[in-house]
Amino acid sequence: MVIEMRGVTKRYGDVLALAGIDLEVEQGEVVAVLGPNGAGKTTAIAVMLGLTRPSSGMVRCFGGDPARAEARSRIGVMLQESGVPGSLKVVEIVGLFQRYYPHTLPLEEILQRADLVEKRGQLVNTLSGGERQRLYFALAIAGDPDLVFLDEPTVALDVSTRRAFWKQVLGFAALGKTVLFSTHYLHEVEAVAGRVVVVDRGRVIAAGTPGAIKRLVAEATVRFTADIALERLSAMSEVQWAAREEGFVVVASNEPEALLRRLFAEGIALRDLRVSDTDLEAAFVHLTGGAGDGAVPAAAQASAERMRA
Amino acid sequence: MSAIGPLSQAGHGADARPAAAPGASIPRRLSPTAVRSGGRLALLAAQVRCELVSTARVPEFLIGVVAIPVMLFVMFGVPNARWELPDGTRFSTMMMPGFGAFGLLSLVIFAFGVDIAAERGRGWLRLMRATPAPYWAYFGGKFVTSLVLASVTLVVLFTVGALVAQVQLPAGRWSSLFVVLLLGGMSLAPLGFALGFLARPRAASTIGNLVFLPLSFASGFFIPLRELPQFLRDLAPYLPTYHYAQLAWRAAASAETVEVYTGLAPGPVWVHVLWLAATFALFAAVAVWAYRRQRSREQA
Repeated sequence: MVIEMRGVTKRYGDVLALAGIDLEVEQGEVVAVLGPNGAGKTTAIAVMLGLTRPSSGMVRCFGGDPARAEARSRIGVMLQESGVPGSLKVVEIVGLFQRYYPHTLPLEEILQRADLVEKRGQLVNTLSGGERQRLYFALAIAGDPDLVFLDEPTVALDVSTRRAFWKQVLGFAALGKTVLFSTHYLHEVEAVAGRVVVVDRGRVIAAGTPGAIKRLVAEATVRFTADIALERLSAMSEVQWAAREEGFVVVASNEPEALLRRLFAEGIALRDLRVSDTDLEAAFVHLTGGAGDGAVPAAAQASAERMRA
Repeated sequence: MSAIGPLSQAGHGADARPAAAPGASIPRRLSPTAVRSGGRLALLAAQVRCELVSTARVPEFLIGVVAIPVMLFVMFGVPNARWELPDGTRFSTMMMPGFGAFGLLSLVIFAFGVDIAAERGRGWLRLMRATPAPYWAYFGGKFVTSLVLASVTLVVLFTVGALVAQVQLPAGRWSSLFVVLLLGGMSLAPLGFALGFLARPRAASTIGNLVFLPLSFASGFFIPLRELPQFLRDLAPYLPTYHYAQLAWRAAASAETVEVYTGLAPGPVWVHVLWLAATFALFAAVAVWAYRRQRSREQA
């Protein structure tokens, strides 16, 4: 096993950032840790890296303490907020990171894999947000690592930049490398990850293939006011779940277009219509019934039942 | 794990797990193009090169550490160049070592202390810590870089001294003054390291100024100690920077001349050296402690 976590908890004063995480990652997997802000994703990655010690539980990378130099030399990482010295050129800082690791990829290959060939001579503080993320990715792969951690790598990127970035990550994973990344974008997970671990309030609340997770936490949220019974909506195949919130009908769906087509076809008058990407936070409140004790609520169980069917 | 039924650990159930013993080694999966990296020396060289290059690209920093001591020496030393001590030594000859000591003290406080605090604050040290790079590479890089910057400062200062401020020294005294200022300055480096890990990133610059300006003044770097109030003259022998300055003055002139200039008789050379060695050891211990404390705080 490349990563192994057993009953890992992490407490900061009164805050329980990790409330008992179990996780196993095999070699060659691309695993997404999905969760809303504050779910514990960053803390979990810091613990896996050995940058933060767990309050209890066990963490192993490559069968041992991740803080050992042997493990470190096989791990590459992209952290949030890593202020690279701004007055260095791309090629200089990548060259330095090549020296940090016992093995390295040729400089040209690193620059190509991170799409930085044209930016090689540019100073770090003149890079755009997307270029800077690519630089961090270049630093993460400089040591030809077996395992790469990416902590919310695309959080500040626009859609097209994001797509290009994941292409580079998958290109590296294709070498047989293991990749673990965190995100709060559901649609991102589907295109990239082979397995998804859903984390909320420091717990793993679901794990499975991206398709299975998508059925559980729908990609889009459709919101409107209309005179329709929730039972009728819930029975539709395009609907994951439906609820009433502050006078609005809120529907979670993976096929919002098909759903709307059907609603119009059935002659239901919709007002105040809004379709948006699912806000994971809201979805999880719905999934876990807003209970902080980790109990699996009825809504989630119902969804799970439907998936089995 | 309070996971949801059928999704939980898909394909990773207890029975699917290989029976390998925990800690079983997973072979390294190098890419076909992977090459062995250079050794420790190459690492240190790369670190130093990056430090130097990035320093050279921030002129404000260079001006701060190199130009300010030279500028101050020009402002205070040159007008005094015409004065001579009774034995014919020029006043400016005795002032130059003081400003050299001031320049190197400011260098170790700012290049180590304030810089480290800033890199710590930006998260840069944390990313470095996630790599297998040994911690000595970072400190070694900073150390060698400040040796280079210190040498540049001294060469500029000495050149200005000789050409503008009428400093006249025999060749042997020029070189021993250079070595004494350089080594003495580096013996104060742990002071900077300690500051870098003790001070909050935003406060480091202020604290740095609060440390090195009073030390410079009270050790007689700017104004000879005999012109300072009595309590400062009494205090000076307890400051490591005073012993640094005494060694520098002694490198430039005889003990008698130094006593006439400062108003305080220099002690035997070994006493001053011992003071600097003890300072180095004490602050190195503090710096290591502060570094470890910082690291365990980040891990906590």
